Amino acid sequence: MTDTAIEAAALGRRFGRRRRPALDGCSFRLPAGRVCAVVGPNGAGKSTLLALAAGLLRPTDGSITVLGQAPAASRERLAYVAQNKPLHPQLTVTGTLRLGRDLNPRRWDAGAAERIVAEGDLDPGARIRSLSGGQRTRVALALALGKRPELLLLDEPMADLDPLARHQLMATLMADAADRGTTVVMSSHVVAELEGSCDHLLLLGGGRVRLAGPLDDLLAAHTLVTGRAGDPLGPHTVVESRTTGRQLTALVRPTGPLGDGVQGDRPSLEEVVLAHLRSPDAPPLLLDAREAAV
Amino acid sequence: MTAPGTAPAPAGRPGGLVRTVARTHRTALALALLVLAAATAALVWLHSLTDEARAGHSACATPPTDRLPSCAAVDAITADDTYTSGLSVTVTLLSWVMFPVAAWAGGALTGRELESGTARLAWTQSVTPARWLAAKLAVPAALLTAGTGGLVLVNVWARGDADPDLAGDWYYPDVFVSTGPVAVAYALAGLALGALAGLVWRRALPAAGVALAASLLLHTFLERHREDLWPPVTRTEAGSFELPRSALQVAWADSPVNGVPLTRATFHPESHFWPLQYVESGLLLAVAAVATAGAFVLLARRLP
Repeated sequence: MTDTAIEAAALGRRFGRRRRPALDGCSFRLPAGRVCAVVGPNGAGKSTLLALAAGLLRPTDGSITVLGQAPAASRERLAYVAQNKPLHPQLTVTGTLRLGRDLNPRRWDAGAAERIVAEGDLDPGARIRSLSGGQRTRVALALALGKRPELLLLDEPMADLDPLARHQLMATLMADAADRGTTVVMSSHVVAELEGSCDHLLLLGGGRVRLAGPLDDLLAAHTLVTGRAGDPLGPHTVVESRTTGRQLTALVRPTGPLGDGVQGDRPSLEEVVLAHLRSPDAPPLLLDAREAAV
Repeated sequence: MTAPGTAPAPAGRPGGLVRTVARTHRTALALALLVLAAATAALVWLHSLTDEARAGHSACATPPTDRLPSCAAVDAITADDTYTSGLSVTVTLLSWVMFPVAAWAGGALTGRELESGTARLAWTQSVTPARWLAAKLAVPAALLTAGTGGLVLVNVWARGDADPDLAGDWYYPDVFVSTGPVAVAYALAGLALGALAGLVWRRALPAAGVALAASLLLHTFLERHREDLWPPVTRTEAGSFELPRSALQVAWADSPVNGVPLTRATFHPESHFWPLQYVESGLLLAVAAVATAGAFVLLARRLP
């Protein structure tokens, strides 16, 4: 058992020579046992990163290790749910879970998988093609959790669930992960759905890592400043500043005490993420490297 | 990660993978078994017609003599027509096994799985992609070998010592393919070509189309060049002569040399059936092996 779930070093992936790389020089480290949100705009490289971690793509640059090994060697210990939740449409729910048992003979926990299916009131004899998108997501998650993974990679897991099912499934997922110390990496562009459940953040933009680190540390490193237009923001790193009339609102990374007449507030996750998305040129902040050195 | 003390399930046992392949392709399996049963039943029934068909094709005389039946009576027997057309349909179907197999392998076996992402689903379970592909090829290959091979044996038995006038000569393209091991080799080549096409195109419909086209090309090419696969026999004689019954004529030339009429015939006697079968089977198995190797290399290159 290692204490690092995923470690990427200058990781890059290019699809075709002429196109912009989907991932470019990504370096980060995710400690084991975390619940990590991978956020970013469409096309930021979230799915590419997850596919690389799942051993489904070969990096064109750099390297990635998962649970201390190459992703392909960790196959048995990780689970991956792709964005479109691929399942065999002609199989029944039971047949799909049987497939999980047959393909993971050493790890399969039928009880755990069946519990998740049962919670959704799914008919075990129903064919996958007759299920709704949300029900299909539930079966895909049951298949992933039935494997008892040490690392769970979820690509936009909740995208087609109604709010109630999303809440329910997220709670199941988090309880299961907490019970077994599973590391969860989940990508999303809905930031609000992540705030209560994640303790680690990876913000991607344009194929690069913009923010990485424990959620609390990242939030603590930023201050939402309100003041009058023209107030000096001094030596602080300004992520984004906006003036409406005579009012100045800015997200800064303070390097010392704020000046007089300016008021500092702790920003929410959504404010930090949105500010970074709106200013693609803001310098990246990587707090996991320091942690790795300790 | 197995806790000490618990007995790990042997990783080398492919039972789970085999079951998975069988379960995901249940419809194709059922359909194949149905066709196998129908073809076997048809051949058994045709075999039961053999004597009647022979009677319907025998020499006759009008008016009937002691040795020969009357031509009206022989004409009244229709079993020979049924026998001939029935056999020709079954041998044609048997010699075309490659086409549905190739289309299915390209479309359903690999192409659709890559298109819909269920291949990725399998590759993120505990089996490696190479083992996944191996199972996907080995299970249908075993079933095709057993099924096609069995049907060829039934076909050979049903034809018995059939009159070539009724059942077709050994060198008729469909008869040649459906009465020897080459039928199995065609099916296996179709499977490998289809699997490769599915991995290359990664989409069901184009892969099925390409696999079908490649199979048609291969089938036509071999049919056209079958007589070149083994050196034919050449017989040169003064005057004219007749080739033995059931010889496949390759070339025939009458040319007077020094005023003496000389006939030069190149042909395959019936004894060339087996060498021709072996060479053609070998070529097809080589195609299948190359396509299979290509599929594995492609998979290994694409995945880490």
